[in-house]
Amino acid sequence: MIKEDFFIDYSRCIGCEACVQACGECDTHRGVSMIHLETIERRDSVQTAPQICMHCEDPICAQVCPADAIKKTPDGVVQSSLKPRCIGCSNCVMSCPFGVPKYQIDIDQMMKCDMCYDRTSVDKKPMCATVCPSGALTFTTMQEIQRTRQGVPVNEWKFGAEVVHTKVYVMVPPEVARVDIGLIQIQTTAAALPSDPYDVALMLEN
Amino acid sequence: MAKLSTDIPDLVEAFGPTLSRVPAGGWDDTREDDKLVKTHCCFCGQQCGIQLRVRSNKIVGFEPWEDFPFNRGKLCPKGIKRYMQDEHPDRLKSPLERVDGLGFVPVGWDAALDCVVSEIKRIQEKYGKDSFAVLTGASMTNEKAYLMGKFARVALQTANIDYNGRLCMVSAGTASKKVFGIDRSGNPWSDIVAADVILVAGANIAECAPITTDYIWRARDRGAKLIVIDPRMTPIARNADLFIPVRPGGDIGVFNGMLHIMIKQGWIDQEYIAKNTIGFEEVARTVEKYTPEYAAKIAGVPASMIVRAAELFGPAKTSFVMHARGIEHHSKGVENCIAMMSLALASGRLGREGCGYAMITGQGNGQGAREQGGKCDQLPGNRKIDDPEARKYIAGVWDVPEESIPGKGLSAIPLVEAIHAGKIKGLISICFNPVVSLPDANFTREALGKLEFYTNIDFFLSETAQHADIVLPGSLMEEDEGTTTNVEGRVIRHRKVVSPPQGAWEDWKILCELARRLGKGDKFNYAGPREIFDELRVASKGSVSDYYGMTWDRIEENNGLFWPCPTSDHPGTPRLYEDGKFGHPDGKAHFIPVEWRPSVEMPDEDFPVILTTGRVVSQFLSGTQTRRIGALIDQIAEPFCEMHPQLATKLGVVDDDYVKVESRRGHVVVHAKVVKTIRPDTVFVPYHWPHDRSANNMTIRALDPQSEIPEFKICAVRVMKTERPTDPIAELEVQAGGIR
Amino acid sequence: MNRGNRMNNIDKREFARARGSDTARATTWGLLATVALIGGIFIGSRGLRDFDPALVSYAGATLFAAFGLAYRFSMWLRRPPTRLYWYRGWQIFTTPGNLGKNVAHLFQIFMSNFVFQRFIERRSHMRWTAHWFLAWGCLLAGAITFPLSFGWIHFETAKSSQEIYRAFLFGIPVGHFPVHSVIAELAFNALDIAAVMVLIGVFTALWRRGRDHGAMAVQQFADDLMPLILLFAICVTGLFLTASTHLMHGLHYAFLSQLHAITVIVTLVYLPFGKFFHIFQRPAQLGVDFYKRAGKEGEQALCIRCGSEYASRMQMDDLKQVQAALHIHYQLENGSHYQDVCPKCRRKNLALTQDSMWKALQVKGEGS
Repeated sequence: MIKEDFFIDYSRCIGCEACVQACGECDTHRGVSMIHLETIERRDSVQTAPQICMHCEDPICAQVCPADAIKKTPDGVVQSSLKPRCIGCSNCVMSCPFGVPKYQIDIDQMMKCDMCYDRTSVDKKPMCATVCPSGALTFTTMQEIQRTRQGVPVNEWKFGAEVVHTKVYVMVPPEVARVDIGLIQIQTTAAALPSDPYDVALMLEN
Repeated sequence: MAKLSTDIPDLVEAFGPTLSRVPAGGWDDTREDDKLVKTHCCFCGQQCGIQLRVRSNKIVGFEPWEDFPFNRGKLCPKGIKRYMQDEHPDRLKSPLERVDGLGFVPVGWDAALDCVVSEIKRIQEKYGKDSFAVLTGASMTNEKAYLMGKFARVALQTANIDYNGRLCMVSAGTASKKVFGIDRSGNPWSDIVAADVILVAGANIAECAPITTDYIWRARDRGAKLIVIDPRMTPIARNADLFIPVRPGGDIGVFNGMLHIMIKQGWIDQEYIAKNTIGFEEVARTVEKYTPEYAAKIAGVPASMIVRAAELFGPAKTSFVMHARGIEHHSKGVENCIAMMSLALASGRLGREGCGYAMITGQGNGQGAREQGGKCDQLPGNRKIDDPEARKYIAGVWDVPEESIPGKGLSAIPLVEAIHAGKIKGLISICFNPVVSLPDANFTREALGKLEFYTNIDFFLSETAQHADIVLPGSLMEEDEGTTTNVEGRVIRHRKVVSPPQGAWEDWKILCELARRLGKGDKFNYAGPREIFDELRVASKGSVSDYYGMTWDRIEENNGLFWPCPTSDHPGTPRLYEDGKFGHPDGKAHFIPVEWRPSVEMPDEDFPVILTTGRVVSQFLSGTQTRRIGALIDQIAEPFCEMHPQLATKLGVVDDDYVKVESRRGHVVVHAKVVKTIRPDTVFVPYHWPHDRSANNMTIRALDPQSEIPEFKICAVRVMKTERPTDPIAELEVQAGGIR
Repeated sequence: MNRGNRMNNIDKREFARARGSDTARATTWGLLATVALIGGIFIGSRGLRDFDPALVSYAGATLFAAFGLAYRFSMWLRRPPTRLYWYRGWQIFTTPGNLGKNVAHLFQIFMSNFVFQRFIERRSHMRWTAHWFLAWGCLLAGAITFPLSFGWIHFETAKSSQEIYRAFLFGIPVGHFPVHSVIAELAFNALDIAAVMVLIGVFTALWRRGRDHGAMAVQQFADDLMPLILLFAICVTGLFLTASTHLMHGLHYAFLSQLHAITVIVTLVYLPFGKFFHIFQRPAQLGVDFYKRAGKEGEQALCIRCGSEYASRMQMDDLKQVQAALHIHYQLENGSHYQDVCPKCRRKNLALTQDSMWKALQVKGEGS
């Protein structure tokens, strides 16, 4: 049984890609990295963000799988597709609200982050969360995260009208109970904030 | 000869850099490991703990080392993939001899060493002892650094030894010595977490010292404020409470301006200043004219930013001040550091928990290497080479007559200039790739061509080693053992993980054997690095950086020991200046006034843009190692020219265009990277790549008069759109200097 | 487009019906399959004339398996995504005008995915070796035992000579061969050959599963090891039978043959439930290949955030229907649909949303 929890805090990410490099060292998919590291919009900012599988309680990827190939372990970890079943249709890739599964074209199979099941199932931390120098990815106890971090961990999301609960928590400011994806953000920050907050030329004009 | 023996593409074909992508045995080899060895990363000054997985004397992977207190398992991409340099196809496994027109042919060790020794003797007899120079490096263990210093002074008896820490830590070191009397970060990194304000200047922490991010973010979790001063918005600057996009070379404007406001507002610790420092009045007088408006003009930023910085930093209860190459790589690098140190000193926030000062070491053993004698003006133990007491003591340790120890030699750049001028005729180098890392690369290449004899010790054929007459295959960090001293001043233990491949030797063996053949075998009679360390301890005894109380066993047991550690029961000294006592003979810190002055080459009509250079997260220094690791090249394949959209529009350049960046000394053609996160008057090109992709083709050979560090961070260039080059160098793989 | 709309309407009807009595429907299919097989046995064995009563337990277990497989297959096809792919696959496959091309392509996929199993080879050579031997060993064994136990094939010595064997398929003579010939040896030892192939596969698989840390972490006894154990048991008991006959003058033959029968029957009964179900699942989904090809050739979906192509329009439209059937509601506040955001933009959008929460807090903090 996995004793600690996974916490993600996109805002801390520094884009070093230690997670990407370490992910490929995980024994369940050696040589292939499963984590995503997005550069949000390099022209406008240096913001980057990792995305691991959030391990939904009722995974949409599994629901939309025609081959019934995506299974959850008893401790709540959603595994890569079962090799004998996966038919490489990418329904999961296209339906995951977090954009997590990866279709591996060379082997015609979906693979995804399995929270380093080879490690977490024997009380080790996942590779990415162990090496992450920014704490954007952290694997620790709920008490420890509450003791050391500002904000609160939540694991409830809303995509349109769809409410999703995940095993992985995201760190948000206090009093936020749920991450609501009601609208799609095109710009680098929310509407209420300055429109081009990282433009050095604008800073120099003030 | 030291001219290239054949075309670069031929040398690349034979010796790489090629990319290693698969561990020894392949990804699918699922056999059990033979052992897991606790050691440290070979790259930057953070010296993170890491465990390497070994199977059949081959390194096949890594495992985080979560119990090592500095990085607690955390690593950057370089550390994670560092093991891919083992079992690398480019690895040198035989001495090589240059053959004109052909490149290199393998020769036996005996013949190679004989050739080196006879050339050393010939050149020194013909042109004098100092005509044979040594260039050494700061990415080696303390033991090797010590050995190199001793080799130069005892075996070669040349004054001319310097090291690539000259490109790294000398400004910070010089300033620290002048102000605090000790050349070391004042605090362990744990103090960062306890600070209420963190002031970072000229340090791209997220990319060049990624693990330090963890400390800063943890401080922010406590509510700490972060101020970042940098011409580019770096990843940590994005989250800073205040980001000051300073004009390259304008840092003193920010620092003196802040101090001006702090004095005006009474945000200084008068009592501390009176008790523990001297020279404050003169500094106060100097900064008097640095009103926010005046300071802002120098810094090239709005005055409000400087005011805000003072407001955040001035009244804080605890604070941590840190800087790196961004303020140090200047013809006024030492003064930049001094101005920043004055802020810490005036606030009185030093030597306490959460209160401190640090310079962020760049190279693996940047700290230790300069202490052990790789520097042209220092003997082991940070001792001045012209100090009679020091000379006498070290002569005793080495068992040589004091007068046989040469005096101060030339530092790296003047040394290369002396080669160019024909004054130095022979060179031995190790752990140094000046063709890529020194400024004005075309001049460096020309200089190497004028040597009568050049021998290079390396594990890969670096771009500089391509010029050698004899190449001696040495050892990787994990193939030898010893200690390094990390960014905090913590001495840590590197374990031997595997033995060097058949045909390559441990570096210390090569040096000892050369010394023996030069007739100094009795002075280099070591059974191994442990004995070298034991001698080093004695050599450092009683000095500022006293290692005498350390042993390898004690270092291992304690997860590292901080110097000074004078006796075997001394716990080491994680935090300096705790009692307000500084390193100067008077026990006080010395305020030194500094005035801003322009950089050596300012932009003008012909070269209107400022070029600043630096690093990227997936590459390390001149790239000899990291440009051979596939995953790291995949991450960032080529250098680029970062420019603001305003400048790009002016130049008619769009993102990803080929651009020619040209200074008075040379040029590169790279892809444009149009980003809003850089000042519109400045472009940035990272320097890890060679040949026509080398940012140092453009940089200026201007030095800080005190530290003799080159001015990498500012020179004048012009930038223009161009076509993709199609010459043979451009056609090479990107890791070899090609362009896609 | 017209065709698409028409299909969409059909799909909706199908989904509505699918929510009906799945079990009853599946039971019907199961019974139908059982009855069909009984009929097949009866007719194929010429009214049980060729049926070997000694093999009745095998036939019985096969009937059970047929019920189970059809039942599960039907249940499985009731799942909205499965059903949609099943329909779409056939629809695209049988599109008039493309049928010839599709048959040719089907043959190509059959060779590479089924005969050579190239897709497994690309995952791992070891895995491929294990799977290829297991698959072809089992297929060979099945191709012999099922017709034998159904009485569809049988052998007789020729009336003219004791030295000649005659083979009958559905009671029709299809060939004869000398008793002491290579063909005869192969024919009568075919099951032993199959057993050896399966054993090679079993040992390769076990070896891999015992060493590969990744496989060891995710494998489960019931799903991954149990099938190997069953196959091992069948092979070993079967080989014992041969050994008993040829080497030990029939020692314990009766006991061994019962033991063998038990292992086979247990496996047959297990067939519809465990990992072996994929033998029937995979081929049923060859249609996905045609679906993907049609998707690639058709209109592409453009991400509403970045504007780039990221998948086929057909698949996105189908997914929205599947999601509706599964009660997944991705409609956004402004009328747009989350399904129309590409996965990359979903990731970026999440990070932007969370980062903006913190930035807003920071701005508020500075203001106060």
